[in-house]
Amino acid sequence: MKQELSFFLNGEDVKVEVKPQWTLLHLLREVLGLKGTKEGCGYGECGACTVIVDGKAVNSCIFPVMEAEGRTVTTIEGLLSADGGLHPLQKAFVDHGAVQCGFCSPGMIMSACALLAENDNPTEDEIKDGIAGNLCRCTGYVQIVEAIKSAASGR
Amino acid sequence: MVRYEYYKPGTITEALDLMARFGGEAAYIAGGTDVMVLLRQKKLSPKALISLRNIKDLYLKDGLSIGACVTHREIEKDEYAKKRLSALHDAVCSLGSPQIRNVATLGGNICNAAPSADTACPLLVLDAEALISGPEGERKVAMDDFFIGPGKTALRKGEILKGFSLPVLGDTTGSAYIKHTRRNAMDLPIVGIAVRVTVNKSDLRCRDMLCGSAPASEILSRFADEELRCEDVRIAMGVVAPRPIRAKKAEGMLAGKVISADGVAAASEMAASESSPRDSVRGEAWYRREMVKVLVQRAFVKSIDRIVRPDADIYPDRLW
Amino acid sequence: MELTAVGKRVSKKDAPSKVTGSAVFIQDIALPGMLYGKILYSSYPHARIKSINTAKAEKLSGVKAVLTGATIPPFKFGVYKDNPPLKTGKVCSLRDEVAAVCATDPETAEEALSLIEVEYEELPAVFDPLEAMKEGAPLIHEGHLGGKEKKPTNVLNLPWRLLAGDIEAAKKEAAYVVEGTYSTQWVTHCCMATSGCIAQVDTANNLTMHSNTQIPYLAQRDFIDALGAFGYKGKRVRVIQGAIGGGFGSKLDTYAYEYIAILLALSARRPVKIVFTREEEFLATSPRQCTVTRISHGCTKEGKLLFRDIEMILDNGAYTSWGATTPSVMMLPISSLYKVPNVKYTAKCVYTNNTYSQAMRGYGNPQATFAIESSLEELAEAAGLDPYEFRLMNANEPGETTPQKFKITTCGMKECMAEVKSRLGWSGRRHEKKGRGFGMASLVHVGGGARVYKSDGCGTIIKVDDYAKVDVFTGSSDIGQGSETVIAQIVAEVLGIPTEDINVINNDTDVCPWDVGVHASRTTFVAGNSALGAALKIKQQLLETAGQALEEDPSGLEISQGVIFARHNKEKNISLGKVLRNAHYVAGGRMLMAEHFYDPPNENFDREFKGNLSVTYAYGAHGVEVEVDRQTGRVRIVNYVAAHDVGKAINPMLLEGQISGGGVMGLGYALSEKMVYKNGRLMNANYLDYKLLTAKDIPPMQAVIVETDEKDGPFGAKGIGEPGLVPTAPAIANAIYDAVGVRIKDLPITPEKVLAALKAKEKEGGSV
Repeated sequence: MKQELSFFLNGEDVKVEVKPQWTLLHLLREVLGLKGTKEGCGYGECGACTVIVDGKAVNSCIFPVMEAEGRTVTTIEGLLSADGGLHPLQKAFVDHGAVQCGFCSPGMIMSACALLAENDNPTEDEIKDGIAGNLCRCTGYVQIVEAIKSAASGR
Repeated sequence: MVRYEYYKPGTITEALDLMARFGGEAAYIAGGTDVMVLLRQKKLSPKALISLRNIKDLYLKDGLSIGACVTHREIEKDEYAKKRLSALHDAVCSLGSPQIRNVATLGGNICNAAPSADTACPLLVLDAEALISGPEGERKVAMDDFFIGPGKTALRKGEILKGFSLPVLGDTTGSAYIKHTRRNAMDLPIVGIAVRVTVNKSDLRCRDMLCGSAPASEILSRFADEELRCEDVRIAMGVVAPRPIRAKKAEGMLAGKVISADGVAAASEMAASESSPRDSVRGEAWYRREMVKVLVQRAFVKSIDRIVRPDADIYPDRLW
Repeated sequence: MELTAVGKRVSKKDAPSKVTGSAVFIQDIALPGMLYGKILYSSYPHARIKSINTAKAEKLSGVKAVLTGATIPPFKFGVYKDNPPLKTGKVCSLRDEVAAVCATDPETAEEALSLIEVEYEELPAVFDPLEAMKEGAPLIHEGHLGGKEKKPTNVLNLPWRLLAGDIEAAKKEAAYVVEGTYSTQWVTHCCMATSGCIAQVDTANNLTMHSNTQIPYLAQRDFIDALGAFGYKGKRVRVIQGAIGGGFGSKLDTYAYEYIAILLALSARRPVKIVFTREEEFLATSPRQCTVTRISHGCTKEGKLLFRDIEMILDNGAYTSWGATTPSVMMLPISSLYKVPNVKYTAKCVYTNNTYSQAMRGYGNPQATFAIESSLEELAEAAGLDPYEFRLMNANEPGETTPQKFKITTCGMKECMAEVKSRLGWSGRRHEKKGRGFGMASLVHVGGGARVYKSDGCGTIIKVDDYAKVDVFTGSSDIGQGSETVIAQIVAEVLGIPTEDINVINNDTDVCPWDVGVHASRTTFVAGNSALGAALKIKQQLLETAGQALEEDPSGLEISQGVIFARHNKEKNISLGKVLRNAHYVAGGRMLMAEHFYDPPNENFDREFKGNLSVTYAYGAHGVEVEVDRQTGRVRIVNYVAAHDVGKAINPMLLEGQISGGGVMGLGYALSEKMVYKNGRLMNANYLDYKLLTAKDIPPMQAVIVETDEKDGPFGAKGIGEPGLVPTAPAIANAIYDAVGVRIKDLPITPEKVLAALKAKEKEGGSV
């Protein structure tokens, strides 16, 4: 039995019919066609599915879709500016070699985005704390931390 | 995929009624970080999920109580928790990941009742009381009596954990939770130890000896002649028994006595003997027992450090 | 002349699509009419399949095909051809594929699996290769005969053996000898994107595979062979790669699930997608080969290495993939890490009811180097020599030929070691302590391709359009490491065109020329040289065409910033676009295209496993300062330096990414990662209990690039993909020994092992 869900997604009102047992990730990828958010594990253990709900980074793979009701959700697709330009974080990732295979990148960037929204000048330790829930197998995190640092200081 | 309905009651009464309606074939869900995983693993197959997230009464937070739906992240940012409920603050800072902490609730972590639940040992040493609402009314249960076994709590059928009440702890009380892990984030403890100490004075001559990289027993021996007396103490251990437990015999050895390195060492040995760790994928029994001995001492020192140097945050050289 | 593109920190070309989430991975692809496939795995590590009843599954609404071993044509794949995609008769491990379904959605497919009834008769199982070698041990493959007597045996007919010099004489001559046994664990690639493919057949039964493979052309061959076995001979196979979410060697072989997807697609006559869940990724992909190594090392009184004698037993698991061939690469450091004139190496692979291994970054080198570099320090200590000086004394040098007949051209080993020493601030005094110590280890790896197959080649085609934009078709693949960008930089440098205007196409076997695969750290060297060759050819064509237009001799012309001009008079110039339009937009015109197939001048091994496998060799050294918590056994990395001889850094930013990424993977290998098996069952098939390192676990790390300018490499470059994690484990083990005097010989170095060793030492009366 489907139920209606209304929420704000990437700056727009969305009304959609959902099955209560769906996760937010399933809704985003399979129904709304937003494939940028990835499923890495399905258990909230890798962060590839990170999106921002009401300003907080969450694992959408274990987020019950019904709890999105009335909330403001931002996915990686929502970071582009109106004219299609990259968000400073996205640009920093590109410029600092923080992207290799790219599968962890959307989730990583969303966590970084949530971090910077709360703390616009984080120390290196605070950055690592902020992305502690995002696994990356390719980069060893070093260039990711550099990218976030540079985006924070506006360099 | 398990199929279920999803309800969002606005009050405790509504939630209790819904649960009664489903005759117990429903499950409560708060942050969902445990429940959603159990559902995916097919360890849970309820007909309905009853969300507690929209019940205002479960979100109270002041010095004396914490609502069950308060998230770990909220406690992480709470200055009072950092200063006065340090063990709990340590636990919420180390739990899971930022994404998990943003939605996972204190109540959920406790009700899931894993022997490794990070917030359990801190609540045990902070003398918390669980506030419960159920079909038969309200009641309180001391944390000591709340955990029955792995995944089992004192909650009766249909009952909802409302929150926790905590005593006011003063300047001469300090606490700490040490989570011994293999990596620095997203990990369950191999062993978790919480300690709370109340002492007779908050001023030590050799206070600066408390930071540094020496072993705990060496640090303790440095203020041997300062007559620092342990007025009251609590020690709780996680992952070394079917449920988080207090090391009451160890506590008994320390309470009312002057603090000495030997005394704390002996108490930590006693605590280890009160534990019954097992071998598991996550750790070996002998090692867990050894870590109880080491970590009780370290948590003790950390607790005292918090009393004596309440504003210091940094231990640059310290390994632990 | 100053370089304009090579040597620059150019961003990866695909980075913008990845940071916006628009890059398309297998997970993201949905084809019209596509079905979802799922696999049923065995319930026992060793059992006879008595019966399989799929009737209920077939009746489930939405299910379009159900297959078992009995319903498919007989076919075996794999290195040893011992692996059927769906098992019949018996199962030999818990990851054996027993049945498969495809349905209109993943949940229905999952439900269908639960309706399949399999009856097993359990058989005694064996999980230890030493046990499996004994008389009377349960036979994994009853028909497998081996040894001189051709008897049924679990020992594979792969008698790995390398001999150089006179080992017996060397043993007698040695003044100091140390012996030890070292073991390494199963670890897995943990690519952030799980494995998956989409198999699609057309009405003529030609196949298109949407794939994550690292070996598009070898996989193409495997699939053609498979189609032939399925009754469809002489068919076309097209392999298309999307964005690949991690490789690290995991996709260097074809897997059962790929053949299953093909069979399901043939049966259901619709495209079939199979994507692994994370648990499946852990239990049904093939991990790094685990090893048990007995090593004996000897040197002269002065400290010159005399011999190395190594014996290995490899748990081959239930079927054979690349793990069984890792000894061919283990031979590299065994014979050529440091100057050691007398070498003996034997390795046996033994079937068991465990999981089976395949390629993983380093391909045996990390396993062997752990034993060699740990043992080397034991030898240095026995000889009373400083470990750094000992290494220096025996260091490899340019121009030498090693016992395995490798011809060392450039060799930055000493420079890398010096970097490590100075950057760590290591003054060489041992055991100073209070739990802090220094350790290091070096590495050698192939750096100029590796003739593992008959060909080590890569083809490139270049096409320039009327707007001076270039399309480079390369056979190599980009698995995230940035080969696409490096190739663009090389072509940009030669053609004087901005890197942004170079488009690299590398993901379609219908379009791109042949390449043997992304392995052996060969892509920058081989694909780079191939692109360089093609670029030089097309440059020549451009200069000739421009020469005609400008009435100048082509040798007097240059290209820069999209313009061809005469060196003696810059006013005489013509834009590239005009050159191209002049060439073909005219009666009797011609196309400007160039191709180059580069097959490096390296050698296959001869029958003794000797030969110059690679054109050049990559060297490096890692050093680490650790602090050991003597009460808990936890090891903290205080400082880490990874110095690598890369020939030339074509893109320093991407290179640092390889060093850091490899380094952190190496740290995990050394300290925390382990697949925990109990009676053949994987106990930690998830990210919580499999301890990958998080951002909070990384130590201060310095990636140091040493450039030795390899003349045969494109602009002097050598490979870097794998070296990053080869010496990590022994460097850490050595540092721990320096810190607290205990040597852990079994990976991963967990706190439990360190604490147990410390307690044992204390008991024996040693001070800590």
